[in-house]
Amino acid sequence: MKRLNGLFDFLGRWRSSRDMLPFLVLFRKFRSILERNNKILELMSDMGDKLGGEYVFDRQYIKDACEMASDNVFKLISDLCILTKSDNVELFVAFERIQHELHEELSGRRVVPTVSPVISIDNVNGDFKEEVGNKFAVIGDIKSFLGLPTPDGFVFTTKAFFDFMEYGGHLKYAQKLLASWRNEELPFDAICDEIVKRILSSPIPKDIIAGMNSALKAISKKHKGEELMFAVRSSAWGEDSGFSFAGQYESVLNVSKDGIPDAYRKVVASAYTHEAWHYRLHRGFREHEMAMAVGCQLMVSAVASGAMYTYAPLPLEKEAMVISSAWGLGPAVVQGTAESDMFILDRMPPHKVLSEEVDLHKDKMLVSDSSGGTVWKDTPERLRRRSSLSPYQIEYLAQSAMNIERYYKRPQDVEWAFDDKGELYILQARPLNIRPEIPQARTDVGLATRSAEIIFSGKGTVVQQGVASGKVYIALKDDDLNDFPYGSILVTRHTSPKYGRVMPRAHGIITDIGSPTGHMATLAREYRIPAIVGTDVATGLLETGDEITMDATRNTIYRGSVKELTRFELAEQEVFEETYEYRLLKRLLRKIYPLHLVDSRTRDFRPEKCLTFHDITRYVHEKAVEKLIDLSENYQKYHDRVPKRFKSKLPLGLMVIDIDGGLDAPQEAKTVALENIASMPLKALLEGLVNSGMWGTEPVSMDIGSFMSSLTRTLVSTHSSQNSSTERNLAVVSREYMNLNLKLGYHYTVVNAFIDDEPNDNYVFFRFMGGVTDFGRRSRRARFIAGILEHLDFLVELHGDLVAGRLKKMSKERMCSRTMIIGALIGYTRQLDVEMATDSHIAHFHSDFLEKVKPMMEAFNGRA
Amino acid sequence: MAEHNISVSGSQKTRILILDDEAIVCKRLSPAFQKAGYSVETFNDSASAKARIDTDRFDIVITDLKMEGLDGMKFLEHVKETWPETSVIVITGFATPDTAKESFRKGAFDFVAKPFKLGEILDTVKRLEAKIKG
Repeated sequence: MKRLNGLFDFLGRWRSSRDMLPFLVLFRKFRSILERNNKILELMSDMGDKLGGEYVFDRQYIKDACEMASDNVFKLISDLCILTKSDNVELFVAFERIQHELHEELSGRRVVPTVSPVISIDNVNGDFKEEVGNKFAVIGDIKSFLGLPTPDGFVFTTKAFFDFMEYGGHLKYAQKLLASWRNEELPFDAICDEIVKRILSSPIPKDIIAGMNSALKAISKKHKGEELMFAVRSSAWGEDSGFSFAGQYESVLNVSKDGIPDAYRKVVASAYTHEAWHYRLHRGFREHEMAMAVGCQLMVSAVASGAMYTYAPLPLEKEAMVISSAWGLGPAVVQGTAESDMFILDRMPPHKVLSEEVDLHKDKMLVSDSSGGTVWKDTPERLRRRSSLSPYQIEYLAQSAMNIERYYKRPQDVEWAFDDKGELYILQARPLNIRPEIPQARTDVGLATRSAEIIFSGKGTVVQQGVASGKVYIALKDDDLNDFPYGSILVTRHTSPKYGRVMPRAHGIITDIGSPTGHMATLAREYRIPAIVGTDVATGLLETGDEITMDATRNTIYRGSVKELTRFELAEQEVFEETYEYRLLKRLLRKIYPLHLVDSRTRDFRPEKCLTFHDITRYVHEKAVEKLIDLSENYQKYHDRVPKRFKSKLPLGLMVIDIDGGLDAPQEAKTVALENIASMPLKALLEGLVNSGMWGTEPVSMDIGSFMSSLTRTLVSTHSSQNSSTERNLAVVSREYMNLNLKLGYHYTVVNAFIDDEPNDNYVFFRFMGGVTDFGRRSRRARFIAGILEHLDFLVELHGDLVAGRLKKMSKERMCSRTMIIGALIGYTRQLDVEMATDSHIAHFHSDFLEKVKPMMEAFNGRA
Repeated sequence: MAEHNISVSGSQKTRILILDDEAIVCKRLSPAFQKAGYSVETFNDSASAKARIDTDRFDIVITDLKMEGLDGMKFLEHVKETWPETSVIVITGFATPDTAKESFRKGAFDFVAKPFKLGEILDTVKRLEAKIKG
């Protein structure tokens, strides 16, 4: 805080002086904010890149990167204080809070939003392994990231376990018993029985019961009128991960609300049965590595249930998956106690059924007993010989299981159930302890892919590593996404967060344009979908329906399906995404990277709402740009430069104020021509405006309606503005920057642009409003402009006759060519509203304009 | 905490020893090199790596610099003294021109700053192999 106090003192003293810093100084501060802003974005994107899997990094890197990010964000806020002459206390407070959380994480103290003894499954994901155990952390992922249905419920956390065990002194007692066994004073069986008995009769602390009751209340509210019965399952540390502990711990099915405390004790006690305890001791687990979280999920009224392996453990079916299914509840299948149907499916979409064995003697089925627990009963006659799954259910189950495998990059053992409404529920998923076989002689990736045709390679940036095979689906419009076929590889022109909604169905993403810094990249990492952005060529070289394999680890796209690559991935010894360093970096990035302050027009766009460094950075950037526009428009007396008139054959009336290298003309010159403009954005814009031949000089013939409308508006305007006959337009420029305010006739255009060599700095903001004709015509012109801007990759907003477009983060060349077209567009649309009599004109002018600017574009591309 | 991991080694495979006290580095490098057709042994502490070097020759050694006990620079010296023919690649998160210079003076083949791409280190090793072969 010392650093902060010093700064506040300085600002306090400084504010008291009434002098404003010279514009040039403020502009340099603005530039430094842009540079730092870019540095922070780059750093964040670098950190994000490390999660992509291409890099080898260690803990030292994570520490250094966080420190560097903190340092730069602090300085960014300080710079804003100077630019805007304010102390920004709330921003500094937000900064301190985030920095503190980063420090806590780095020093090994988890900053978890909740350390309560009971958590709803809705709030759980893979980052909560310590709190809810592996099994329920996975269920959280499946629910929140993969969007697959899992039963509602809650988890008694490991905190609850430790509270419960300490409350009754059980942990110490267990240690004491272990010691007596080691000293051969007591047999192993005896100590197990002793501790189990003790746990089963032990009271549960009040706050755990209170947590349970409020979780139950929330579930009751959601399932009004239903009788709530639960499956109470173990979820111990390490269970279902490297060590499966398969079947060691207890699950209690069909438990009523009142029965939960007893079931909880039973599951906790099952950690100390002979088998379980022995298993742990045998594998070198220490007692302090034992913690038992317990999950309670609503029972699914299962019509059919079973298990599914995404890799069939059959030597002849190496590329197949297998479903075992029976009528009724799942344990029957899992424990092999019931007759079940078996389906072997192709691993590749659409997962054709390769063979099926429907058991004709499914005479008994396991069902929930009305008084709690489960009971065997006779299968209704009509079901005994029937397949327990429909073809549709098989397909849906296969897709869901493959999504889980794709996410964890391991073959999966998935327990599932279909309820009486035909809904699928995923009950559990754990890594399958088999790996696809890879012949010894072919462990070399180069050999395996030698015969595959490469469509392109080394283009763009890998956002998320991994391998995907599937059919290409090119999405060019929003509504295309509704038909997005499961298992396809999404190919698009741009990155956009809107593609998030197809991620659960997509197996890979490739884009032409886009930065690895974007929101979509973050989503792709969340979903762990192999993704490559900025390839330039994807939509050109690929077509919908093409079968391809994308290797987003070695950044290569192959034609056809290269099965070896998929097998290699599934056979890796350790999944990078499951390492400690990956998880730590990911946790830290959650406090750095997500952007919550998206829309500057909303009430939430304020310092108090900054939850991450990205939020702070975004806020500072917005405020800095606002301030600069304000300064250049409203504080002309502080410009220590002589405005120069732009000489042109067009009646622009443009005055240019150069603040830093934007003009190549003598200080004392009163006029400048196009060749004197050194400012990159202004030069591009004027070239488009002046040299494109788009400035319509022919008087436009008006129909009577437009004429009357324009007449009244002219009269009003003449009254309201003394200078309406002479245009006075202003551009404030530097070498890379332009703030242009153009009033041409009766509409206004504002263009704010920054273009230099660093794509991340670059932006063009464009605003257009007004006109001389009736609202219908003006808004048609606005729609036409919006259409062109969208064609030029702008993000566009349209409100009546107001068009606002923003373009960001493209290369200098692209930015300049687009700014040039904006210039042409300003000329082209000058009087266009008059001609916009009907909606059909919009499309007509759209293609006319694009046709006319074509030669200019080509000439520009030739130059670049 | 001597962690020692040996992969199945074929007779003609190039043999690589990797030493880094951050386990994650070994965990990531080992499968990447194995997949590319190398035989790999990894160590998380310099004492056990040194003991291994004292008993056997490796074609290539990849070592971190900053470590507890015997640091990477000393380890590099020891490898070069014991097996002058063995090539050493230094990987470090504290890359400075001085440490780079010192590594080269002590006979390192290359100096790679952490974090690095898997492809980068594989390329370095390929270049090194090409040089060894001649």
